[in-house]
Amino acid sequence: MADPQTATFNLTINGRKHSVSADPEMPLLWVLRDLLGFSGTKYGCGVGVCGACAVHRDGIAVRACQIPLRDAVGHRFTTIEGLSDAGDHPCQLAWVEEDVSQCGYCQAGMIMTAAALLHQNPHPTDAEIDAVMSDSVCRCGTYGRIRRAIHRAANGVAKS
Amino acid sequence: MNVQRRTFLKVSAGAGFGLAFRLHAFATQQTAANFEPNAYIRIDSDNTVTLWVTRSEMGQGVRTNLPAALAEELEVDLDQVKLQQAMPGSRFKGIRLRTSGSGSSSATFMSLRRAGAAARAMLISAAAANWNVEPSSCTARSGAVIHAATGRHLRYGELAAAAAKQPVPENPPLKNPRQFRLIGKPLKRTDAPQIVRGTATYGLDVRVPGMLIAVMERAPFMGEGVAGFDPTKALAVPGVRHVVAIKSGIFGGVAVAADNTWAALKGRDALHIEWLPGPNRNFDSQEFIRKLEAEASAETPGYPIRRDGDAGSALANASPGQTLHALYEYPFQAHAPVETMNCVADVRPDSCELWLASQTPETAHQSAMRMLGLPPEAIKVHTTLLGGGFGRRLFVDYAEEAIELSKAIGKPVKLMWTRADDTRHGFFHPASVEKLSAVLGEGGTVSAWIHRSVGSDLSMFGLPSPDERKDQQRYAKDESPWGAFDTPYNFRHLKIDYVPVNSPVPTGSWRAVDYPSRVFGRESFLDEVAHALSKDPLQLRIDLLAPGDVLTLGEQEIDRGRMIRVLQASRSRSGWDTPFAAPAGRLGGRGLAVNIYHADSYMAQIAEVSVARDYSDIRVHRILCFFDCGLPINPAGLDGQVESGITWGLSATLHGKIDIREGRAVQQNYRDFAVMRLGQMPAIETHIIPTENPPGGFGEHPVPPVAPAVANAIFAATGKRMRRLPITPERLQSSMSRTEERT
Ligand code: FES
Ligand code: FES
Repeated sequence: MADPQTATFNLTINGRKHSVSADPEMPLLWVLRDLLGFSGTKYGCGVGVCGACAVHRDGIAVRACQIPLRDAVGHRFTTIEGLSDAGDHPCQLAWVEEDVSQCGYCQAGMIMTAAALLHQNPHPTDAEIDAVMSDSVCRCGTYGRIRRAIHRAANGVAKS
Repeated sequence: MNVQRRTFLKVSAGAGFGLAFRLHAFATQQTAANFEPNAYIRIDSDNTVTLWVTRSEMGQGVRTNLPAALAEELEVDLDQVKLQQAMPGSRFKGIRLRTSGSGSSSATFMSLRRAGAAARAMLISAAAANWNVEPSSCTARSGAVIHAATGRHLRYGELAAAAAKQPVPENPPLKNPRQFRLIGKPLKRTDAPQIVRGTATYGLDVRVPGMLIAVMERAPFMGEGVAGFDPTKALAVPGVRHVVAIKSGIFGGVAVAADNTWAALKGRDALHIEWLPGPNRNFDSQEFIRKLEAEASAETPGYPIRRDGDAGSALANASPGQTLHALYEYPFQAHAPVETMNCVADVRPDSCELWLASQTPETAHQSAMRMLGLPPEAIKVHTTLLGGGFGRRLFVDYAEEAIELSKAIGKPVKLMWTRADDTRHGFFHPASVEKLSAVLGEGGTVSAWIHRSVGSDLSMFGLPSPDERKDQQRYAKDESPWGAFDTPYNFRHLKIDYVPVNSPVPTGSWRAVDYPSRVFGRESFLDEVAHALSKDPLQLRIDLLAPGDVLTLGEQEIDRGRMIRVLQASRSRSGWDTPFAAPAGRLGGRGLAVNIYHADSYMAQIAEVSVARDYSDIRVHRILCFFDCGLPINPAGLDGQVESGITWGLSATLHGKIDIREGRAVQQNYRDFAVMRLGQMPAIETHIIPTENPPGGFGEHPVPPVAPAVANAIFAATGKRMRRLPITPERLQSSMSRTEERT
């Protein structure tokens, strides 16, 4: 018997359609991780304060833990797995080049946040980087490298 | 049971000795085509070199530095080494897999170099025998043995079977550091490509077929269990499969297992639980800290830690103008790694498999044996990458919860903690109070130093029994408390005591364990003494370390000369002797603090801080970190660890604390347990003073000096002495009206 609290939704994730039957209130984070297996999008707080779950909604960085499934319909989402085909988005390359990661757990969210920033503002200043990236938590303290990697990626974006 | 903490946490130089034994043990276990000179290494006929990594990767770079140590001596390229995470049990029986004490790279480093050198010697012997030439006429490079005179060469894979039959050399010659290709060169993290693509697997990312996902409501008040619960509403949530009372873990609770995380969370919200009335519903951390302060000033004897001369008489006979006293306070702190605690457990009638991000997989293995009555070989423990460890993952309470739950429901299950669970139910860094007194001597000297450190035993290791408590030397023998016991300065009269005051709060090792609170007191107070003597704080430290001799304390040999050289370098390369130029309209200053970590790493930090004139804002502009940690294995990784440790220290200095009111931790997530954010970060400069001493660890070392360096800089800027952490603008402003904050 179909569960009365479950409905079917069509989502677009990383350019592909996915049909999901679940509670309309289920946050996109759990839809991605538990139902669709996109485990690159991380859980850090579930209340919108850490940025570990950042994904792109129509090119803008949003927090998957704050988006109920029913609000996800009609948008194009990109997760870290879909940011590039070969792991060669300028941010991914810059993150490796600057050796940003410590434990690495927060970095998918950091990269998604930074990639959206660069999409809107290809040459952010330090102050502009600070304003956007200060909403995300890295307990390992990789912030200096994140800032350097964003500048490096900005040059990469400009070149390509 | 009370484990001696220092031996548990700190890796001594001999920690890798298991390897020498294994060199023989494994020579017999290989198949015809493979070469397994020991438990750590295998060379296959297809030239693959496999290294079993015996430490957990939590950002400190073991999965980069350990293969580099092996590849260096074995003479293979770094990307030729495939990594396997070691599992507790048969292959690694009796070999330490625990990751703690900042010794991950340093302890295993020499072992792996020796293992690599032994394997190289055996491969060379095998090739030489094949060609009928002298081994000394052959060399090894890039995974092959070469006979230069005849231009012949054989890949390691081709030699594997023959190498296995060679005798294992007892003392294989190690490479001369001048010939290093990898060690000491900046290396990028080997896991980086997976991390940036989101494909690296942390504990929370593990999925096994048929797995449910569970969350648990834990007893809110410390020491209370479940009296009863009504599962009806929780079970009515679609997707919820089981509601089970759990006794394991810190205090037990009720778990809800469901098809997905969201259903489990909704089910937990719908639970109704009665808790047993416990004794700790009124526990208040502020009251507890007042109690610590009272103990710090009490006359009752503490456990003696250090005694030189007669500090008590020196203090009693000093005139009031000659003495200085101060109390320093460190609050409870959480670990707050971004990946919350979690474990996947699959318990079957005759087996158990666990997947978890743990600093101590062997403890989880033992827990499973004890809880399930299974033999060791029936239990498999997979260690994933850790989304932060910091000491929290030295405990396996979350694995025990998952084991109990999987057994109860007969299914594989992932038990995950929410952020609020993680913040409120940790093993906190204990609150502590340091009381320091000094007697100032003639001519700008310090004639007596008295440090009474008041803190708690770490409950994660079990509290000492009444009998153990009777041993007056128990803490001194354990070389505790870190940062007080190993006070490096030369005082004519020195007295250090420790007073443990326990509470119901679960406490555990935090990044740098005891050091942060003790070093905050010691190094801040030394700054106070320098100002009272009108002496330069840097010069005073050098004077107190003179003549640069070696101070032997327990098993530690503290080389004061190394510390002096680090201080001299920090003076000449920091602009210490010129005034710090604060931004216009702000008050600015520099502060210095030093620490020696277990006699093997010597560090000085200088903080540059400015404060708004109305004290409404504190800004750390730059932290310079100078240190000698012996031979740097991977300078790039070392820079990263310094930045990481300093950021951790700044979070504790400027933001973090856990308050406990009415028996519950108040803070819930990164909003109220704030940590540093990108926009607040100072510039961090790492200056390595390389020496050829054995490599020291460095994951924790940068943490302790941060708070005193910043507090000393704030004093230089404002004349206000901040003796309580965190140092917030509110606290600074409330000190504005007082001439002396507290004495
Ligand atoms: S998990 Fe979404 S912001 Fe923290
Ligand atoms: S790298 Fe560990 S939390 Fe950011």
